[in-house]
Amino acid sequence: MKFSSFLKDKIIQIFFIIFALATIEIFLLAYHVGNFIRIYIPLIIIGLYTISILIEYFTKRKYYKNTYKILNDLEEKYLITEIIKEPNFTEGKILKEILDEIDKSMHENVNKYKYLTKDYKEYIEMWIHEIKTPIATSKMIIENNKNEITKSIDEELEKIENYVEQALFYARSNTVEKDYYIKKSKLLDIVNEVIRKNKTVLISKKIVVNTHDLEISVNTDSKWVVFILNQIVQNSIKYETSNIEIYSKQGKENICLYIKDNGIGIKANEISRTFDKGFTGTNGRKKNRKSTGIGLYLCKKLCNKLGIGIEINSKENEGTEAILIFPNSSYIDMK
Amino acid sequence: MQKILIVEDDEKLKNELKIFLLHNGYEAQTLNKFDNMVEEIFHINPDLLLLDINLPEADGEYICREVRKQSNVPIIIITSRDNEIDELVCINYGADHYVTKPFNIQILLAKIASLLKRSNTKNSQDKMYEKEFTINLSNSTLSKDNKTIELTKNELKILKYLTERRGKIVSRDEIMDFLWESNSFIDDNTLTVNITRLRNKLEELNLKELLETKRGQGYILK
Repeated sequence: MKFSSFLKDKIIQIFFIIFALATIEIFLLAYHVGNFIRIYIPLIIIGLYTISILIEYFTKRKYYKNTYKILNDLEEKYLITEIIKEPNFTEGKILKEILDEIDKSMHENVNKYKYLTKDYKEYIEMWIHEIKTPIATSKMIIENNKNEITKSIDEELEKIENYVEQALFYARSNTVEKDYYIKKSKLLDIVNEVIRKNKTVLISKKIVVNTHDLEISVNTDSKWVVFILNQIVQNSIKYETSNIEIYSKQGKENICLYIKDNGIGIKANEISRTFDKGFTGTNGRKKNRKSTGIGLYLCKKLCNKLGIGIEINSKENEGTEAILIFPNSSYIDMK
Repeated sequence: MQKILIVEDDEKLKNELKIFLLHNGYEAQTLNKFDNMVEEIFHINPDLLLLDINLPEADGEYICREVRKQSNVPIIIITSRDNEIDELVCINYGADHYVTKPFNIQILLAKIASLLKRSNTKNSQDKMYEKEFTINLSNSTLSKDNKTIELTKNELKILKYLTERRGKIVSRDEIMDFLWESNSFIDDNTLTVNITRLRNKLEELNLKELLETKRGQGYILK
C-alpha cells in the first residue's frame, strides 16, 4: 500500500479540514483573538489528524503486507482465507467476511465437480468391466469356431480391447487418489506379457523381437507398466519397424528399460511435442495410421504418477528409442 | 477325464467355455442355479473350479473362502477387475490363479493344465513316454533305447507340442503361436532352423521318418 494512494483516499477529509481551519481562522481574526490561540488551534488539529492518519496507515499497511506475503508463499492461493488473521478494522472485517463467503461457495462448487468427476470415473470403470464380459465371450466363440472370417473379427476385437484398456487408464490417470499398488515386479515378466499381447500382429508382420538383460526387478505397479510398455510397442509396430529390441541397464540410481525400433522415426522438430495431448505428427497422419495423439500423452501422465521417467529419442528414417527410467527407491524395499 | 466346474453367470460365456474345455479333453460342468452354490460345488466335487467373481447371489470371494475351508480343489478366478489389489484379495481368499477378462484362452488352458498336474501327482508329466522314444522334460533330453540326445529349449517345446498332437497336422502358425505364448519370440527363419535341427537329432536316433513336412500345411509327427 503506497502512502500517496492512501492519502488520495483521504483527499475529501483533508480538503474539509483545510476548509474548516480556514473558516475558523477568519472568525478568530474577525473577533481579534490572540496570536497564541490562532496558531495553537490549527497546529493541534493538523497535528492530531496527521497522527491519526499515520496510525491508520501503518495498521492497514502492516495487515495487507502480511496478507500479501502469505499469499505469495502459498502454493494453493485459494487457501488464503484459512490462514489470514482477523483484521481489527471494520473494512478489513467486511472484506474477510466476503472472502469467507466466496471461499465457501467456491468449495461447494469445486466439490460438485469433484463429485461429478469421481462419479464419471466410477461409471467408466464399471462400464469397462461390463464390456469385458462380451469381449471375452466373443473371443471364446471365435476360439470355438476358428476360420478366416472369425480370425479377421478377432483382429478387430483385439483393437477394441486396446481402446477399452486405454479408456480405463485414461479415467485412472485423471484422478488424484492413489489407484495403483507398488510391489516388486520382474521386468522380464512385464516385457514378456506385452510381447505376448501383441504376438498375432508381430508374427504376421514378421517383426523380429529381441529381448535381453531383463532378469531384474523394479518396484512398481506391473499392470500400469504393462499398459505403458504396450503403448510404446504398439507405436513401434504402427510406425513400420521390422525389429524391436528390449533390454535393461542398471545405473547407480535407477534402472533403465530401453525399447528400440528401426521404424520410420520422428521428425527432429516434432520430438519435443510427442507427449502432448492430441499431437499426431506428420507421420501419424500419413497412410491411414489413425494416430489419436493419446497413447504417449497417457504414458507420460501415468509415468508421472508412478514416479517413472520416460524419454523418447529418434532419428527420422532410422528408428526410435523409448526409455523408461525406474528410480531405485529403497524405501519401498523396506516395507 | 478330469472334471472342471464352471461357475459363471453369463450364459453365453459359460456355454462357450464349456465347449472349449470339452474340445480340449476335459469334462466340463456348469452351475445353473446360484442359490446354494457352495453345497452344489461339493456335491459335484470337481477336479478344478473356474469361478467368476461377480455372481448374482453370493460374490465369488465368499464362495472361494467357503470352498477353501473344506477342500483343496484348485480354484481359478475369472474377473473383469484388473488391479493388483483385487488380485491380492483373491489370492488371500485361497484362489490359485487369477485371470482377467477378456482372458487369453491359451493361457487359461495352460493354467488349468498346470494346476491339475500339480494336484494330481499320479499324472506326473516329467517324462513323456512314446512307443519309439521318451522325452524327459526335466532335463530336456530325448532318448531311445540307451541313446540320449540333448534338446535345446525351443526344440524341446516344439517336440513336446508335436507329440501332444501326434497324428495331426500342425501348422507353422500354430507352432509359432505356441512358442510365443511360452515366451520364445522366434521369427520364421529360426523356426525353420529349429525344425531342421530337430529333424537331424531325430535322425541320430533313426527316427527321421517320424517328422514329416506337409507342404503348405505344416508338420506332422507320425
